[in-house]
Amino acid sequence: MSSASVVRKDFRGARRSRMLWASAIVLGLIAALLAYVSGSSAGTSTETVQSLFRTLALIMSVLLPIVALVASYLAIAGERESGGIKFLLSLPNTRRDVFVGKLASRLTIVAAGIGFMYIAAISVALTRHGAFPAAVILGTLLVTAVYGATFVSVAISMSAAAASKSRAIAGAFGSYFVLVILYVFPVVQIPTMVRWLHTTILGADPNPDLYNAIQYTSPYLAYRKAINLVLPADQRQVIFYSSLPDDIEYGSAAANTELPVYLQDEFSVVILAFWLVVPLVLGYWLFKRADLE
Amino acid sequence: MPSIETNGLTKRFGDVVAVEDLDLTIEEGEIFGFLGPNGAGKSTTINMLLDFIRPTEGSAEVFGMDAQRQPEAIRERIGVLPEGYGFDDYLTGREYLEWTIESRGADDDPDELLDLVGILDDADRKAKGYSKGMQQRLAFGMALVDDPDLLILDEPSTGLDPNGIQQMRSLVRDRAENGTTVFFSSHILSEVEAVCDRVGVMNEGRLTALDTIENLRENAGGRSSIELACASPPSVDGLGDIDGVATVDVDGARLTAQCTDPAAKVDVVRHVDDRADVVDILAENTSLEELFNQYTGGGRDGPGTADGSGADFGSDSGSGSGSGSGSDSQEASA
Repeated sequence: MSSASVVRKDFRGARRSRMLWASAIVLGLIAALLAYVSGSSAGTSTETVQSLFRTLALIMSVLLPIVALVASYLAIAGERESGGIKFLLSLPNTRRDVFVGKLASRLTIVAAGIGFMYIAAISVALTRHGAFPAAVILGTLLVTAVYGATFVSVAISMSAAAASKSRAIAGAFGSYFVLVILYVFPVVQIPTMVRWLHTTILGADPNPDLYNAIQYTSPYLAYRKAINLVLPADQRQVIFYSSLPDDIEYGSAAANTELPVYLQDEFSVVILAFWLVVPLVLGYWLFKRADLE
Repeated sequence: MPSIETNGLTKRFGDVVAVEDLDLTIEEGEIFGFLGPNGAGKSTTINMLLDFIRPTEGSAEVFGMDAQRQPEAIRERIGVLPEGYGFDDYLTGREYLEWTIESRGADDDPDELLDLVGILDDADRKAKGYSKGMQQRLAFGMALVDDPDLLILDEPSTGLDPNGIQQMRSLVRDRAENGTTVFFSSHILSEVEAVCDRVGVMNEGRLTALDTIENLRENAGGRSSIELACASPPSVDGLGDIDGVATVDVDGARLTAQCTDPAAKVDVVRHVDDRADVVDILAENTSLEELFNQYTGGGRDGPGTADGSGADFGSDSGSGSGSGSGSDSQEASA
């Protein structure tokens, strides 16, 4: 229960962090601006707002990992390097309290950032379009919160495993590269690399399902597919074109159901759950065994 | 039940042995000084007691509870001034103290504690911006919260001004009078002598002595010296043959004898007085610095390593490796 002690100290400090307030304001402005310019497309106001939140989710897919990593990567490593952890652990707190407390406080901070963006986007959408498609808004909010949590989980775990700030920074950069950049940049993409390895080095026939399955391990793609779960069918994105037969109509339910189970939108829940839990288990295990000097 | 008990406590970092086979028992209510040069393994030992680092071998118990298995229960009962702490949050001194009080579920008055450690006037500034000495005062104040049964203080006087050191000492004494056990480390002998009931001396990871200051002094023996001022240059014939006299130096009309047995000083006086006119006598026991050097082989800066366990020191300290007392006169006999 004394993780509350850790959270209390974290919050008191965070409240005064100018950097944190600045990022929250920037996020809010991005969302408000997006909502403001979204009116130009055709369709009903409800559809406009739905597509606004779809676009917001697309931006979040690359932006939120940065926010979550930056908010969390020093949570434990920073305390270790500066010696703040000596005070935390001189009080009746265990290492688990420190780990859980830091996780809870950073999850709250990131959730607050997402909430800030949503409040800004919803307010502008309401005033400009007068529509509130609750299912899409709350659905994307929930999925986005889970996506943010996976990166907090990754960052906290690396922070717990790192003995110094510099290693924690390297870890944060590295994970953004490996988990996001490698799926976004057109040239160096995971499926392209795997395909080359598979067909050239191993000399096998191309197998799109395999390449897609491998890139589906990233929380980035899992998030984009999880967003499909809460969007109306005609707004869903098709991500694994190469695994679909040619005659499938985009925007139809078949664009999802025709895929193998492990490539369907529903499977993203499993992937997000993996990224939420596994890093935490590893990070905690390493932190528990570490010598804190 | 002892407050602190270690059995065969050992910590190795790769090839480096930081602490080796340490057996230490601190009884309830004791003020124990943990002495040694930099890098002797004092902080490593304390960090193992606090479960910041894990022993390679052996065990550490605080109030009969294993340091690794029940760290939370131990932390309920101890106050800690750790080594290498940092105030890095955007919190004021008062807020740090309030946070400590809240986290312990204590009912101390923050202002009272701030006043006690002498930083009440600066309590509303960010602790991050404090000077080293003020941070040390704040950290000490945080250790005192909830009147713990055991205070573990790692180099508490670091960065403190002389007033601060005195204030800290008297606070430590006050708490000890009320039954608190105090375990503190230091590399400053006078500090240890001023407050401690018992001291342990660490050198290169080993406990080289464990006793009261008086007994350490007695066991270290040989450092008693006697200086005689005579009317004319005295002769030294036969002085070196007296039992317990190690060296005799003559500088003009001044004679200095180093004795392994303090009782030999009287024989020296009688012997010289029979042959010359003694006009003044100056006797001196081992100084703390010499004592420290003897038990630690001069510490990091000594010529060699102190010899193994404490038991050896009583007998051969006169010829010990690094007496480091700075004696620069020639030896007349040995």
